[in-house]
Amino acid sequence: MKLTVPVSNPEEVEMLAENGAGEFFCGYVPPEWLDRYGGAFWLNRRGPVVGNLVQRDDVSLLTERSHAFGIPVHVTFNAPYYTPEQQEFLLPVIGRLARESGIDGVIVSDVGFLVSLRRAFPGLSVHASSVMATLNPGMVDFLEELGVRRVIFPRSLGVADIAALCDTAADRLETEAFVLNEGCVFEEGYCMTTHRSVGALCVQLPGVPHRVLPLGGEDAESLAGKEGERARELMGAFKDWVWFQNGCGNSMSPDGIPNGPCGLCALFDLARTGVTSLKISGRGTSSYRKLVSLQMVRAVLDLVERGAPREEAARKAVALRNTPKFCEARYMCYYREASS
Amino acid sequence: MLLTRHHQEASLREGAGNGVEVGLYFPLADGHGWPSAEAGRDAPGSVASAGPLHAVLRGEASLEEALGGGASGDAHAALAEALLRHLPGAAPSRVYVGNETCERLLPTPRAIGSWVASAREGRLALSLVLPPLSRDGLAKAEEAVRALEGVAGSEVVANDWGTVHRLRSRHPGLAIVLGRLTHKMLRDPRLADYFDSPQAPAPARAALCRSGELAPGFRALMERYGIGRREVDPFLQPLEADEWESRSEKLSVHFPYLFVTMGRACLLGSMHGEPAERFVPGAPCRSECRKYAVEFRLPVPGENGAVKNLLNLGNAYYHAVPSSVTGKILGRISSSRQVDRIVVTVPADGRGWRK
Repeated sequence: MKLTVPVSNPEEVEMLAENGAGEFFCGYVPPEWLDRYGGAFWLNRRGPVVGNLVQRDDVSLLTERSHAFGIPVHVTFNAPYYTPEQQEFLLPVIGRLARESGIDGVIVSDVGFLVSLRRAFPGLSVHASSVMATLNPGMVDFLEELGVRRVIFPRSLGVADIAALCDTAADRLETEAFVLNEGCVFEEGYCMTTHRSVGALCVQLPGVPHRVLPLGGEDAESLAGKEGERARELMGAFKDWVWFQNGCGNSMSPDGIPNGPCGLCALFDLARTGVTSLKISGRGTSSYRKLVSLQMVRAVLDLVERGAPREEAARKAVALRNTPKFCEARYMCYYREASS
Repeated sequence: MLLTRHHQEASLREGAGNGVEVGLYFPLADGHGWPSAEAGRDAPGSVASAGPLHAVLRGEASLEEALGGGASGDAHAALAEALLRHLPGAAPSRVYVGNETCERLLPTPRAIGSWVASAREGRLALSLVLPPLSRDGLAKAEEAVRALEGVAGSEVVANDWGTVHRLRSRHPGLAIVLGRLTHKMLRDPRLADYFDSPQAPAPARAALCRSGELAPGFRALMERYGIGRREVDPFLQPLEADEWESRSEKLSVHFPYLFVTMGRACLLGSMHGEPAERFVPGAPCRSECRKYAVEFRLPVPGENGAVKNLLNLGNAYYHAVPSSVTGKILGRISSSRQVDRIVVTVPADGRGWRK
């Protein structure tokens, strides 16, 4: 399995390559896009500037340095949708990135844009973003027919589902699953909110006034008793879950390791699903976080690949994180069913 | 032309009310007695035969009755009044069953059989709503679809392209509607009003008021999969005219709820779980969504204490659009060439939720 690692600066390439990155993905927002849309419409899932390259020369340099290590680079064009005018603007941008900057492919979310992209550049590798929400074998078939090379599974899938879909995709499509960082309590493929100006709704939600309401007649009184207590407990637990998924309040472990969504102790099981690549999320994070994340995943994966049993790999994962209480709470897990 | 008990014209093809068909969507209808893997057959007694759903199916409920019986202050009663004002004579001619965000609420073939029989009695058409489906969900959905196949006027509303692909491959004659979850546009109630601001850059403003569905790639997909109808939401931002009218497919517009987002795991479905077992995607639940909802009051930035509602209903989060938005959209629908159906969500037993 390869490790797919975020990169947002050519200066990060050597550091990440030498620590075991197998593939890179990055974002690029041309200045003309910012002129047109300001910060109102993000070109990709990070933005408008943070975590992105804004000069094509930097993409060229990043690609050149990556290729020197034999590492391919895919660029994210994974906004949930692009209007017809935006698609007309982006197709030549991607053409230049492929011809002149040497990128290996792109990551997309808009199914219509995918069709146009394949028509315009049939030789370009296209990865279907997790925002496409590939949840079933029909979607794997659909994407194969549209000429996608890889499907990136959404965060909501468990290990068993990933294994089954990898089986469906075998010999037809490459596959990729999340292993570290950047969670959300919503299904991102079906989230129609924006973080722009108003912040992340998922993070705000537990903190805003709310009430549990009975639907219909016979349950109207029930919330006064034990069910009411359950409802209050639920909303407290929801607050905890959101906190864990949001990088544990953007905190760090005593060793300086950034906390957040994690699938490290599921690596033993993930390695047996047949998944082609494992994604470390976080284009918008610091170089330090990218490096530490990669080192943690690499360390556990090396152990698994050397034949360590499941329990040993899981113990190593928990030890590396060094936040046993957070691990015990299990709200930080990507793959809770496979966690130890 | 068909007649309901109230002698209002209703037709599978045209409906009443300026030719705009009215569908009622019962997302929490009791038809989800799927067996466990071990049992291998339908659970008995899982289909309720009373209540507003069956009254509507049998053609025994008017629009006002179905939407709440005119209870004071009920948003659905106000909606019924607005519908009848803009679309005089409107009456339910179609019923939507299933759920757009949760496959645990996928009806069994037995439930569908029961609803088909009732709908035949009331001369109403049936739409089966499918959520984004998992691997197991897709297999169950195919069973449900087979129970509906061949029933006059029936159709399936699919909310992911994998389901569209599978159904079209295996059921070539099936009428497939593209559900509103596949209509990718921003619907953030905290911000949407500002999209119409004159201070916004014109290209940004335009981009936020239209989707990518008029682009050639998406048009090719619609043709390839033979999609003749798509569902859209009651958007807070004013959609550009092209978005409504420059399509080959017909449009169905939902009321009164704007879909905002859906949970990776169900909030209410975690109500009775042990702490460490809560919020696991696809985990077992007790169908708490059929008993409760959660109402959030979102502060509006810069609006000094003003709030907007967000309703957690099942695994989805919706915003009930204000009557001004409903009025604007209904006004447009009256003269639209492409919009010929509205879909009204009826939560729980049709009386909304208790305050």
